[in-house]
Order: sequence, then C-alpha cells, then structure tokens
Amino acid sequence: MELDLFIRYGPALLSGFGITVLCWIVGSLGGMGLGFLIACLYQWSGSWGRACLQAYIEAVRGTPFMIQLFILYYGGPSFGLLLSPVQAGIFGFIIYGSPYFAEIFRAGFQAVPTGQFEAARCCGMTEWTIVRRIVLPQMLVSITAPLTNFMIILTKETAILSVVTVPELLFETQTMAAETFTYIEPFLALSLFYWAMVEFTSWLGRRVERHVTRHQNRQTP
Amino acid sequence: MTENSSSPANALITARGLGKHYGTFQALSGIDLDILKSEVTCLIGPSGSGKSTLLRCLNFLEAYDEGEVRIDGQLVGWQDGKASPRKPVSATKLREQRRQVGMVFQQFNLWPHMTAAQNVAEALVQVKGLSKAEARDKAILALARVNLRDKADNHPSALSGGQQQRVAIARAIAMEPRVVLFDEPTSALDPELVGEVLNVMRDLAADGMTMVVVTHEMGFAAHVANRVAFLDHGKLVACVPPDEIFRQDPADPRIRSFLQTYRERNVV
Repeated sequence: MELDLFIRYGPALLSGFGITVLCWIVGSLGGMGLGFLIACLYQWSGSWGRACLQAYIEAVRGTPFMIQLFILYYGGPSFGLLLSPVQAGIFGFIIYGSPYFAEIFRAGFQAVPTGQFEAARCCGMTEWTIVRRIVLPQMLVSITAPLTNFMIILTKETAILSVVTVPELLFETQTMAAETFTYIEPFLALSLFYWAMVEFTSWLGRRVERHVTRHQNRQTP
Repeated sequence: MTENSSSPANALITARGLGKHYGTFQALSGIDLDILKSEVTCLIGPSGSGKSTLLRCLNFLEAYDEGEVRIDGQLVGWQDGKASPRKPVSATKLREQRRQVGMVFQQFNLWPHMTAAQNVAEALVQVKGLSKAEARDKAILALARVNLRDKADNHPSALSGGQQQRVAIARAIAMEPRVVLFDEPTSALDPELVGEVLNVMRDLAADGMTMVVVTHEMGFAAHVANRVAFLDHGKLVACVPPDEIFRQDPADPRIRSFLQTYRERNVV
C-alpha cells in the first residue's frame, strides 16, 4: 500500500465523492418527484393521457442511461440546451430514474384498496388531500422496499456520469490510476465509497419502513 | 319519468326514473324513491338485486345514467339542465354535495394508519377546516356516541370488527351530514358483534337521523325502519311500512319467496 498516494489524491477523491453524492441525492430525489407526478397523472388521466405517459416510460426505460447522457450533453447544444457536466448529470439522472419510480408509485396506488379512496371521497376530501393524507402513508408500507432498492441501484449508476466528464468518484479515481499506474488501491477505495452509500441507503430504508409500518399489529393492553 | 313525479314535502332525497347499467347489464331501472327526513329507510332484496348500487347512486359513488337523484331539490352529480349527454358537476360541487351525505361501508374502510380518533377527526380538519384540538374534541364526542370513547387512541388493527364499524359510524356522523347511508353495515361481522352495531344505529334513528340502510338484518328492518323498500332485478317492487312487508302473506310473490328463505331459518 502506498498511503502517500491517498494523501496526494485524497482531496480529489473526496471532491469526486462530493459530486457523486450531489448528483445521486438531487438526481434521485428529483427522479422520485417526477416519477410520483407521473404516477399521479396516470392515476387521474383518461386513456389518451395514459398512452402518452406510457410512451414516455417506455422510451426512457428502453434506452441505456449512457446514451441518454450522450444525447443530453453532446446533443443538447444542437437544440439550444447548454449544460455543464454536473447539470447534465443531475438532469439526466432525474429523467433516467423517473419511469422506474413512476412504476413503483403506480403499483403503490394499486395496492391501496378502492374503499380507502371511497371513504375519503364520501367525507368530501379533495383528491390531493386523499393522496397526501390517506394514500401515500399507506402505499409507503408496500413501496419502501422497492424504493430503497432502486435508490441503491442508482448509487452505482452514478459511475456512468464519468462518460460525460462529470468529475465524480470514478472519474477522479481513473485520473489517479492513470497518473500513478496504481490500480488496486484506488479502486478498492472507490468500492468503499460506494459501499458506504449503499449501506447508508439501506439503513435509511429500514428506518423509513419501521416508521411507516408503526401502526401495524400494534396491540394495546 | 313516471306519472308519480311529485314528492312529499318532507322528502330529503328523491330519486325519479333512476337507472344504471354496466355494459349491457341493467343494474337498476325506473326507480322512484323518496327518502323522508328523520326516517329510516331499509333497502332489502335478494343479492344482486341492485340495493347497494342504488345506495351508491345516492351520493354519486356510482354515476347513474338515467333519471335523477335530488337532495333538497338539487340534482346530484350531474349538471342540471337539458344538455344531452349530461355533464358531471365540478369536483368542488360534487364534494359539497357529498359532504351532506355520510356513508358507512360493509368493509368499514377505516384508514389503518390512523387511530380511531384520527379517523374521525381527519375530515373535520381537512374538509371543515377545524383546528386539530377542536377536531379531536368533536371526534371524542362522536366516539362517545358510539360507546367507544375509551378506544379513541387505538389503531383499527387493535379493534374488533364491531368496534371498527362503530368508529366508521362515528366518522360519518361527526361531519354532521343530513343523511347517512349504510351499505350492509353488519354483513362482514361475526354474529356476536352484529348487535352492538345495530344498537348504535337504533340510537341514531331514535335521535332523528335520516338513514338509508341496505341490510340483510330483517329484524332491524322490521323493528327500526319506518319504511322498507324491496328490490328485485334492479326494480323497486315496493316501498312501504315494514308491517306490509313482514306480515304473514305479503302481496307480492317475489317478496313472499324472499322472506320464505328467512322464515325457514327462523330469522323472522
């Protein structure tokens, strides 16, 4: 082990880690938000609206993330979309994740029995109140696990951002390896960073799951 | 429309020529029914006769496609006028109309992530705009009316079926509706839990609440209802005081054969 390597490249690696976390958090939360919006629109639109949303889902799910990034970053300027690498990374992440999140939320909507909606409608609640107060807390019980799962997948997809020169973790590690001709140590360190993110996500998922299922099977003496 | 279009002055809900079909299946047709203020109207009939569909048309949970339902003269769900096809009223208007009608379901439909008191208070806060404290006070009062004050802070999963249904009744009456619709409120309950729910409903009736009850509890229909409506194959066969239905030899053969199945089991 050449520890002085890490002293020399430590700041670059940490900055890469920071960029990775930034793209991951903002991109996946944005994707989750967009996915939720799509699922809500899907729930309340007619057959034409649903066909359009389905087409979007199929188009995004049917293409590799790397190609989407290329189109966004290299193709963007030709239709007036000039993005910095980090902007393209975050924007691309939002788009890439949204159909998967939308499908998870759509399944969540379906898991809530019709009677729950009906009871709320009979009380005169607005559809948005019903989603916020009645449906979302219940669907989280069944979708927290798939949401956590997809967030974990996304942590590792951040590596692909290096192809559009986002100075994230893999990009910095590759630079370090190329300049020093060492490979094992940098990539082991890289794995540790991803592993930390994955562990954090699954810990968070367990916390959320415990919170949203707290009302189940609670017997009072 | 039928010749009998005038309705009694104390009618709260009037249905005229009400019809509903699913594809080619005619679930309801030509229903003329008046729900009178402070009365209990029971809807009875064989399964599949359209009782629940009729009930659900009254608050537009099912969009009826023929005739009309009026609450206090106001057409429910559809815009009043001659336009054809009819246009539904705005979402805001529909919510306003539904607020006047409470509903209790066969499967209770309590919100499982909320305690009993929260279930009752939720719409008071979200719809009526009460503060959380006011809503909680009102919820506790409503729960006391169904004898569940001490269960206010339990989640539905910790309550028996009968208790859950009583919470659902409290949730409906806390909104101070003008009428409460009951869709087979005791059908999902174990036999020994039916009584507590029927007792609560009897108390409500005695307090002058207008109620429409789809039920298989013939005892309740016979003793509590002011009028009993009998449906068969989507048509209203009779809507009369209970004595006329439950006497030894009802006029209509369909009523006779329906009640026969209960008599054989010594229920009535």
